Order: sequence, then C-alpha cells, then structure tokens
Amino acid sequence: MIRPRRRRWVKLAKRVTSHVVLIIACLFAIFPIYFIVVTSFSTLPIASITAHVLVPNPSGLTTASYNYVLFHQFPSFATLLTNSLIFAGSAAAIGLALAAFTGFALSKFNFPGRRTFVYFILLISLFPGVLLVIPFYFMFSSLGLIDTYLGLIIPYSAGAVVFSGILVKNYMDSIPDDIEEAALVDGMSRTGAFFRVLVPLCYPVLGLAAFLAFIGPYTDFALAHVFITSNNLWTLALGIYNINSTDTGTQNYGLVTAFAVVMSLPIVIFYMVFQRYIIGGLTLGAVKS
Amino acid sequence: MTGIALQNITKRFKEEVAVDDVSLAIADGEFVVILGASGSGKSTILRIIAGLEVQTSGHVYIGDMLVDEYEPRDRNLAMVFQSYALYPHLSAYENIAFGLRVRRIPREDDPNRLRKYTREEIDAKVTSAAQMLGIAGMLQKRPSELSGGQRQRVALARAIVRDPEAFLLDEPLSNLDAKIRSSARIELKNLHQRLRQTFIFVTHDQTEAMTLGERLAIVNHGRLLQCDTPERVLSHPANQYVASFVGSPEMVFLEGNVESAGAGFVFAKGPVRIPVRGAGRTGPVTIGLRPWDIQVGRASSPSAVGARVTGVERLGSSDQLFLDLSSSAMAAGASTVAPVAIRALGRSYEFSIGDAVYVEFDPDRALFFDDQGARLESMTLSTRPT
Repeated sequence: MIRPRRRRWVKLAKRVTSHVVLIIACLFAIFPIYFIVVTSFSTLPIASITAHVLVPNPSGLTTASYNYVLFHQFPSFATLLTNSLIFAGSAAAIGLALAAFTGFALSKFNFPGRRTFVYFILLISLFPGVLLVIPFYFMFSSLGLIDTYLGLIIPYSAGAVVFSGILVKNYMDSIPDDIEEAALVDGMSRTGAFFRVLVPLCYPVLGLAAFLAFIGPYTDFALAHVFITSNNLWTLALGIYNINSTDTGTQNYGLVTAFAVVMSLPIVIFYMVFQRYIIGGLTLGAVKS
Repeated sequence: MTGIALQNITKRFKEEVAVDDVSLAIADGEFVVILGASGSGKSTILRIIAGLEVQTSGHVYIGDMLVDEYEPRDRNLAMVFQSYALYPHLSAYENIAFGLRVRRIPREDDPNRLRKYTREEIDAKVTSAAQMLGIAGMLQKRPSELSGGQRQRVALARAIVRDPEAFLLDEPLSNLDAKIRSSARIELKNLHQRLRQTFIFVTHDQTEAMTLGERLAIVNHGRLLQCDTPERVLSHPANQYVASFVGSPEMVFLEGNVESAGAGFVFAKGPVRIPVRGAGRTGPVTIGLRPWDIQVGRASSPSAVGARVTGVERLGSSDQLFLDLSSSAMAAGASTVAPVAIRALGRSYEFSIGDAVYVEFDPDRALFFDDQGARLESMTLSTRPT
C-alpha cells in the first residue's frame, strides 16, 4: 500500500515467470503430439527420424499411411477398433457400476474392518498390474477364459474398481450425511436415496472414474498380448504392435504414427464429451456441496 | 396430525450415553422445543424420533403406533435440518416435490391399491406451499443460487407439502443471519398457528426456545431435566442448570452458606447477611436471582444492601450493571473482603462505574439450590436483610 508501484512490478514479474514456465511445460507436452502427427503424414517408408521429418516440406506430405492403416491392413482397423471398444466399454460400464457401489458402501455404511479394507484396496492399487499377468494367465486358462471377450473384460473391470472405488468413496465422503438422511425421511429407501440423490451428486467423480476405466483397457498391451491369440479378437494396442513389427521388414514410423493418431481419436472424443465431469472430478474436494 | 411419545429412550454410542432414559409425551398439534447445549443429546432425540438413529432401549410412539421397527420413510415425519440438506442437483421446485414423487397414496376407486401423485396434484401442492412461504418466484433456482433464508424456506416447504404426522426441526434457524433469524422465528410461529400440526424443534438458543415453544424440554448430558411451559421453566426451574440455561440476561448465582442466627437462619456470603425463611438446616446453598428481580437505586432503605457499580454493559433498552455487595462492608472498616459480585438491570445510562448504590431483592423470587444444584423449594429470602 505504501509503494504500490513496486508491488505492481513484482506482480508483473511473477506473471511473466509463470507464463514462461507454463509455456515451456506446454511445449514439452505438445512436442510428442506434433512429432507423431507430422510423422504420420510423411512419405512412406521412413526408417530414421531427421530434421527433415520434423520440419516437412508441405508438398512432401501424404495420407498414404492413413490409407494403409485404415483400409489395407489385416485384421482390419474396424475389427481392432470394435474389439477395443467392446473391451474398454464393458470394463468402463461394469467397473463404473461396481465402483459406485463400492464407494457408497465404504463411505456411507459402518461395518467392522472398513478402514482396514480401504487401506487394503489402496495397497492393491499400488501393486504393479503387470506382475499379475502370468498368474492371471494360469488362472484364466484353467477356467477356459483365454482368448475370449470375457477373459479380458473381467480383469479390466476389476482393475477399474480398485482405484475408482476409492475415488468415489472420497467424493461421497464430501457429501454431507444430512442430504441422504433428508431423502430417507422424504420417503426413500437407502437404495432409492443412493440412485436418486447420491449418484446424481457423484456425476463428476463417476465421469472421471468412467474415463479412467475406459483408458486403461483401451491402451493396455501387456494383458491383451498374453490373453488374446486369435487375431479376430485383437485390440488396437495389439494392432499397433503388429503393424510395427511384422508388416514391413523395417521400422515404419509413418504407419505407427498414423495408427497412433487414429487410435487416439476415440479418447479425444470421449474426453470432449465428458470433459465437464472429468474436470469436476479432478478437482475433488474443491466442490462445495 | 398426531402426538408423539418417547418412553424410557436410551441411546448409547459404544460406551458413551447420548440419551439417558428420556420419556416425553408430545400432544397432537403441540410446539415443543428441545433445548440444550451442544452435545447434550437433543439432536439425537430428534433423530431417534425420525428413525435415523435406533435407540438402544425404550420405545417411540407416533400416535398410537409403536414405530421402533419402522424405517424413516415409513414414519411419515418431515424433518428440517440445520444445514437444510437440500438436494444440490435439483431446483427448488424439485426439492419440494421430491417427497411427493416418491410417495404412494391410496387410489380413489380402490383404496387397497396405491397410486402416484399426478403431475397436477404435485404442482398444486408445491405452488401452495411456496406461496405460503413467499418463495414462489424462485422455484426454478438451484439451492446454490438461493440465500440462506430462501434455502431455509425451501426446506420448510419441502416439509409442509408432505403433510406429515409431525415436523422435526433440527436447529433450522441457526445458520441464518441474526436479522433474518428473528423474522424467521415469527414466521415459524405463525406457520405453526396456521397448520396446527405437531412441531418438535431442537435448539441451543434459549431465546428461540422461549419465543417458539409451547413447552420446553431442557436436556443436559442426555437427561431430560424439565419439560414445562416457558413461564414455568423461568419461574420454577427444576434445578440450577435449568435456571442458568434459561433466561436472559443469565440468572445471578450467589454461592454461600446458610448459618443459624438467633432464632432463624441467614444466608451468608462474605460480609453479606440476608435472612432466609424455610431453612431446615445449615450448609452450603446457592441463591439464584433473575437480574430483573433486583432493584438498584440511589436511595437507601431498611431492606436495601449497599453496593458499588464495578461494570456497566449497555444493552440498549437497559444497562446490565455489575455490582459488588461487599463494598458496604469495606466502607464499614473491614480491610480485605472478597468481592460479592452480582448483576442487575438498571435504566439506560443512569449509573456508571464507581457509583455507590443500594440493592433490593424481591424476596419471593429468589431460588435456592443445594450444592448438587437441586432446587430447595421450601426456602425463600426474608424481606429484611441485616
């Protein structure tokens, strides 16, 4: 207040510094995307990355890689996409429903061992999933679930519940018990109060949970690679691996990057549709109910 | 419209006793205020009536029905929460309509079958409740867009439309600004006059309790200490806790001893001696006096006690005076005397600190309590202090 000029200068310096830092961070985040997109339009085949690729001559750009990825590979891109959407969609739907119930139980019901159970789930979520691939393989093959839709949907959904259940619980903790009790006095059963009051209030976190439950299976390679053998069940992640390793004798960055671009589109669309909820979910606890 | 009865209700949370053997009968259409400090168990009593907590022992009756085994939704009570507990994702209209959409009523053509309320019936009920509470213009707003007072009205409207057996109100006014609170108090009282339904109102605010309640149930440590009309609670408190909790400004307590003096007894506190009637024995007692029953004047009289003003609190309509009764003894030559502090009400700006004054008690209004806080009903002050 005594020297407002100086304060204004400090404010400006702070703003400039934060902008510079954020711009650098942005470049770091954007560069891989730029690299992938620009490579995907390069002339086939590219065996090595040069400055020539990163700063392309506009006339040298081609959609040949996309043409191949979308229409000429086997199994067809449509098959891969359908499979991935079946796996990821089912896992998101089942995982979301289970996560909602799990969160409800852990947040609003008192039962012996609740805290222990929450810690146990947290502990599980720290466990690297890749370690489970081999034991899972033996379990699922003895159940005859290898190389089936169900064989992947089960572990994918289960994986979603572990983390999302805690996420939903934490969010529900922030919803005052009064609101649920008001619904009970108003004539609802606990189940009714859950579906009519708690679930609508949890849309932000459920959106985030659905997004995470979708992304995991959609991008999973390790489990799919071990569990799926017939190529009519291949997922996109297996397809991108395949296009890189087998179709051409050499590394073909044009095909891989074109594939990556097309594969990421559903996630981008999904994100844009649910953006409102996902961002709400990421700022958990900042929401005043 | 139904009365509610609690029969020997006890509630334990693990080892802690929240409600201790409370029995209370509330008549149909009565406005009962459950008054107690925070943690006294008053909210727990209300939640047991609502069915949100299950009592450890005892019975709850709504009308003639024993409802111990009833879920909250089957008790047909309406509750207004301290936080209002509006559904944040629904408009004010939907908040009010929520209970109606859920409820099933008997069909006109076949009372054994149930039907939903029609859209028109719901609309009529919501609109009339909203008009009654003056919130008709803001029904499409979300709770977050409403002020505290408006939210409180939406919560009340949500209770009214249900046409419940009774209204349970858990400190519904405590989140309001002081200014709105007094008008909300009057509106609530008027609402009860209009509806003539059973209201059970929980509060820690004795002003709210005195102005709203037809009867007050004062609760402390889970025990029901007294249940009576505000007038009776004020004039005949069951014990020292009730006496101190109810009444504003708070009752003045003088802790002293009953000593025998000649043929009778006196109350002795420091240098002060006041004759008492009805004392059967000597020992420690506490006298309780309402500040407004203590007259302060400048002129001496045979029954007056000398005092000095040690503090003045301007309340607006009157002043609260802090007085030291030991001053006269000091003047009489005693060297060190512990102050005997009391409070009284005086006319605004009539007295200031340091004034020498004379104090008279209304002897019949003084209450006696033993060292456990229990009322000693037989004892009163005598007119002439010595």
